[in-house]
Amino acid sequence: MTPPVSFRNVSYRVGGKDILRDFSLDVAAGETIVLLGRSGSGKTTALKMVNALLRPSAGEVMVDGRPTTSWDPIRLRRRIGYVIQEAGLFPHVTVEGNVGLVPRLEGTPAAAIRTRVHALLDQVGLPPAQFAARYPRELSGGQRQRVGVARALAADPPLLLFDEPFGALDPVTRVELQRQFLELRRRLGKTAIFVTHDVREALLVATRIALLHEGRLAVLAAPADFLRARGEEARAFLACLDPQAAPP
Amino acid sequence: MTPDLAREILDLTAEHLVLVGVAMAIAVAVAIPAGILLTRRAPLQRWVIGFANVMQTVPSLALFGFLIPLPFIGGIGKHTAIVALVLYALLPVLRNTLTGILGVDPAVRESAVAMGMTGRQLLFEVELPLAARTILAGVRVATVTTIGTATIAAAIGGGGLGVFIFRGLASVDSTLILAGALPAALIALAADGGLGWVEKKFSPA
Repeated sequence: MTPPVSFRNVSYRVGGKDILRDFSLDVAAGETIVLLGRSGSGKTTALKMVNALLRPSAGEVMVDGRPTTSWDPIRLRRRIGYVIQEAGLFPHVTVEGNVGLVPRLEGTPAAAIRTRVHALLDQVGLPPAQFAARYPRELSGGQRQRVGVARALAADPPLLLFDEPFGALDPVTRVELQRQFLELRRRLGKTAIFVTHDVREALLVATRIALLHEGRLAVLAAPADFLRARGEEARAFLACLDPQAAPP
Repeated sequence: MTPDLAREILDLTAEHLVLVGVAMAIAVAVAIPAGILLTRRAPLQRWVIGFANVMQTVPSLALFGFLIPLPFIGGIGKHTAIVALVLYALLPVLRNTLTGILGVDPAVRESAVAMGMTGRQLLFEVELPLAARTILAGVRVATVTTIGTATIAAAIGGGGLGVFIFRGLASVDSTLILAGALPAALIALAADGGLGWVEKKFSPA
C-alpha cells in the first residue's frame, strides 16, 4: 500500500543554509507521526512541504504516491487539514464561516455545510447555539484552537497537519486540547503529522516520534522506544522530562 | 446675499463636486489596483511609492502650471485640473492599500493558502476585507485634501469654488473669498464625516 505521505531524500536550502538535509520518512495510514525538534531543526519546514507551502530543493515529498510538485497545489491543500499555532482564523468571519470555509470553496450546498459545521463544533466541545455566530476575537485562545481543529476537519480530509497547534496555550487548556486530540484520533482514525518542540506532548500524541536535529532525522521511534533512545539530542529532549535528573 | 451670488455659489459648488468626484473616481480606480499589484511585486514598491511621494511634494499651483504645456493631458480647463488632482490623490490611496494588505496577519494569510484558496479568493475574501478600513482611511484623506486643492483648479480655468477665491483675491473682496472658502470647507467636513462613518462599518483588521 502506498504511504499517504513519504519524504524521499528531501533537502531544503535557503540563502545558502541547509534547513533540511536528506530527510526520508514514510508516514503510515492512520498514524500520528510527531516531528520533534528544537527551533530551527527543520520540523516546520518538513511539514510545510507536505501541503506544498514550500518546495523541496532536492528530493521529493510524495502524497498518495505522487510528488507534491506534480499535484495542483489547490487540490492538494483542500484534501489536507492544517492547524497552526494561534489557529490563523479569519478575524472578519464568524466561527461558522471559518469552519465551513473549505466546504464552501469546494461548492458544497449551504445547508449541508451548516449541518456539518454544527456537528463539528459539537465534536470539539463548542455548542453551536452558543459559538457559531461569534467572531474569533470573542473567543479564548483554547476556543480559537478548537475552532482551528474543526476547520481543519471540515472537508473530511484524509490527512491532517498540525504545526505546534497548542504551543501558545496555558498548560491546563493545553492538556484539555491534547486529550481532545487523542479522542478525535480514536474516533476518526486519520493520518496526522504533528510538529512540536514539547517532548511530553510528543510522547502523549505520537504513534511514532521523528526527532530532527539540525535538519537531519536523528531518531525515529515509537514513544516507548524513544524513552530509551541513546543519541545526544534524544537525551537532551528526554532530560526535559525531569530536569532534576539531568545527566552530568 | 444677492440671489445672483446664491445661484453662482450653487453652480460653482456643483462644478467643484464634479471636479473632486471625477478625480477621486479615477484616483481610486488607479491606486487600489496598483496598490494590490504592488503587494505582489515587492521590488517595485519603492519606485512607485517614491513617484507618488514626489508628486505630493510639488506645490499644487506649480503642478497645475507644469501640466498646461503638456499635450493631451495638459492645456487650460477642467481635464488638466482633474489630472493634477488625480496625481495628488494617488499617494494616500496607494500607500494605504499597500499598508492595509501587507498588514494582514501572516498566520491568517498562510492558513488561507494552506486551505486551498486561490490567489483570487485570498485577495477578495481575506486581504481586501481585512484591509478595507485602512484603504478607506486613505480614500478619506485623499478626498478631503482634494476638495481643498481643487480650489486652485480655477487658476487654470478648471472652475469650481476657487473661482470665487481668485476673484476675491483680485478685487480684495473678502466676502467673495468666503463665498468660495466656506462651501469648500463644508464639503470637506461632510466628506470627512461621511467617509469616516463608512470606514467604521468595516471591522478593524
